[in-house]
Amino acid sequence: MAPRTIAPFGPQHPVLPEPIQLKITYENEKVVDVVPALGYGHRGIEKACELNEYPKNIHLCERICGICSCMHGISYCEVVERLWPMEVPPRAKYLRTIWSEMSRTHSHLLWLGLLADALGFESMFMQFWRIREKVLDLLEMTCGSRVTQSVSVVGGVRRDIDDEQKKICIRTLQEVRQEAEALINVLATDPTVKARTVGKGVLTKEQAILLGNNGPHLRASGVKEDCRMLGMQAYGELGFEPVVETDGDCYARALVRARETLQAIDLQLEAFSKMPEGEIYVRPKGSPPANEAVYRCEQARGEVFYYAKGNGTRKLERLRVRTPTFANIPSLLVMLPGSELADVPIIVLSIDPCISCTER
Amino acid sequence: MIENLKEISKDTLLQEVQKFADAKARFVTTVCSDLGDKLEVTYYFNYSPGVDMVALRMVVGKDEEVPSISGIYLTAVLSENEMFEQFGLKVKDMAIDFGGLMLLGKDSPVKPMVKDDAAAGKGGE
Amino acid sequence: MGIIQTSQVKSPWILHFCNSSCNGCDIEVLACLTPLYDVERFGIVNMGNPKHADVMVVTGPVNYRTARVLKNLYNQIPDPKMVIAVGACASTGGVFHNCYNILGGVDKVIPVDVYVPGCAARPEAIIDGVVLALQKLSKAVGVAK
Repeated sequence: MAPRTIAPFGPQHPVLPEPIQLKITYENEKVVDVVPALGYGHRGIEKACELNEYPKNIHLCERICGICSCMHGISYCEVVERLWPMEVPPRAKYLRTIWSEMSRTHSHLLWLGLLADALGFESMFMQFWRIREKVLDLLEMTCGSRVTQSVSVVGGVRRDIDDEQKKICIRTLQEVRQEAEALINVLATDPTVKARTVGKGVLTKEQAILLGNNGPHLRASGVKEDCRMLGMQAYGELGFEPVVETDGDCYARALVRARETLQAIDLQLEAFSKMPEGEIYVRPKGSPPANEAVYRCEQARGEVFYYAKGNGTRKLERLRVRTPTFANIPSLLVMLPGSELADVPIIVLSIDPCISCTER
Repeated sequence: MIENLKEISKDTLLQEVQKFADAKARFVTTVCSDLGDKLEVTYYFNYSPGVDMVALRMVVGKDEEVPSISGIYLTAVLSENEMFEQFGLKVKDMAIDFGGLMLLGKDSPVKPMVKDDAAAGKGGE
Repeated sequence: MGIIQTSQVKSPWILHFCNSSCNGCDIEVLACLTPLYDVERFGIVNMGNPKHADVMVVTGPVNYRTARVLKNLYNQIPDPKMVIAVGACASTGGVFHNCYNILGGVDKVIPVDVYVPGCAARPEAIIDGVVLALQKLSKAVGVAK
């Protein structure tokens, strides 16, 4: 038997912008065992949310993760709205959908860039991030901030998109779609990309379900499951159909995310054309009653689960957030053993890990 | 108001969870909350393919030990470790036991989510 | 003043470390390296290895576990070195100041030279912070302007 070596992967590693550690045991370049060590990003947001009054928690929840920030804010507002329960105006629902899809577009472009970077395809990394800046400009124009959008409040949204902005959005999104499509074609057909991703980190349909995976990671294994099918916000009126691939390897995951990027742009364009006129905010009455609610929403990385429990006061009794990466990390314990050491960064990246989400 | 909620006890937990595994349901998460003298643990599942959730809820004493479902669903191991760290809920036979150091560091507050614990929060706003 | 001192100021290499940040500042630090902001035109390169770095860019508040890692990385960077705390949380703890697992800003653990405000800090502000740090560095290595 060859000698075994244990190598720490992280917490500070060039592939990962965020701190997570994987203790990898390997034998002749073959990975034998993996133990994840978390905790480098744990802040204790769930507890902090019990200390503040419920409208202030929006700011905390948006800072669970900076990349999916917009959707965390929206999910928190939706779960608190369900405690009454109360209904938000239709225009606010459309605006929430548009901002969700906009942040999905920027998140997927970011991930596609990081994948290219992990493969050593520097120029493609730069190109994806160049396109992404256009989406960030749109977010800045409509929300006022590049990263933490902070547009959603309990009862609706804070800002409206006027006709002038709408025109700019539609024009820019069409440009982005064209440029992204061209780049994605290169990514999907390039032989070196295929050599590094096809057949790596394979997860079958049964394994993926039993491991509780979600999001693009689950859909790449051939399971047609997407929280947007629940029809919350305006998705029910947009004719949404999830993107599914069947191979379950890193290449399939990249394809799912690439196709979802284009789909997200189409959804935004459709939402712009169907958006009704009207109010964007209703004032919630008093404090949330003693009730519980759950809400699930499809973020860029997968399904996020929010649970809230009110007790009739202005503070929440309990808030629980289960983020997509929290459920996707156990799949690494199955995918990594047996793979080559050199493929570890790609396989880890293929679940689109978001550590600050995971540990809150 | 949680839909499709079923109250169970800790003795029947494993049987109930096994039924979900046989039906190819997907494990979503666990939610633990402090009721004062007891802990309330809720397990959420999702029939796959599909999007409707089903929940199992049990109420246990603070010193009681509950069985781990990580033998059936490996993915539950992170949630169970988290419950142990944050609420002190003892879970028996977890597939990977981080020993209370999964999210918290050595110097972090102990059982920070428990309501009556003085170490829990640094105060108001 | 030798070639090493000159190049330290003209082409500083950066080590980026994320504490328990929300990611917002991290993607903005990365955005600085990409075509729109492109700090590489100033000779600034992002490095994975602390032993090659001159400037340490830290994002996010310090928690009980990252404190040790942060101290280790700081000690591995050769002198003279500069530390930039990017974002409100790295400067003071920010929105997370009363979370139970948070120690506070980066200056609770290591000395900080430049604080960049913002949540999340904009790329322009981060570049400005690096320029300020370089002015300080040039004094430290004796290439002062």
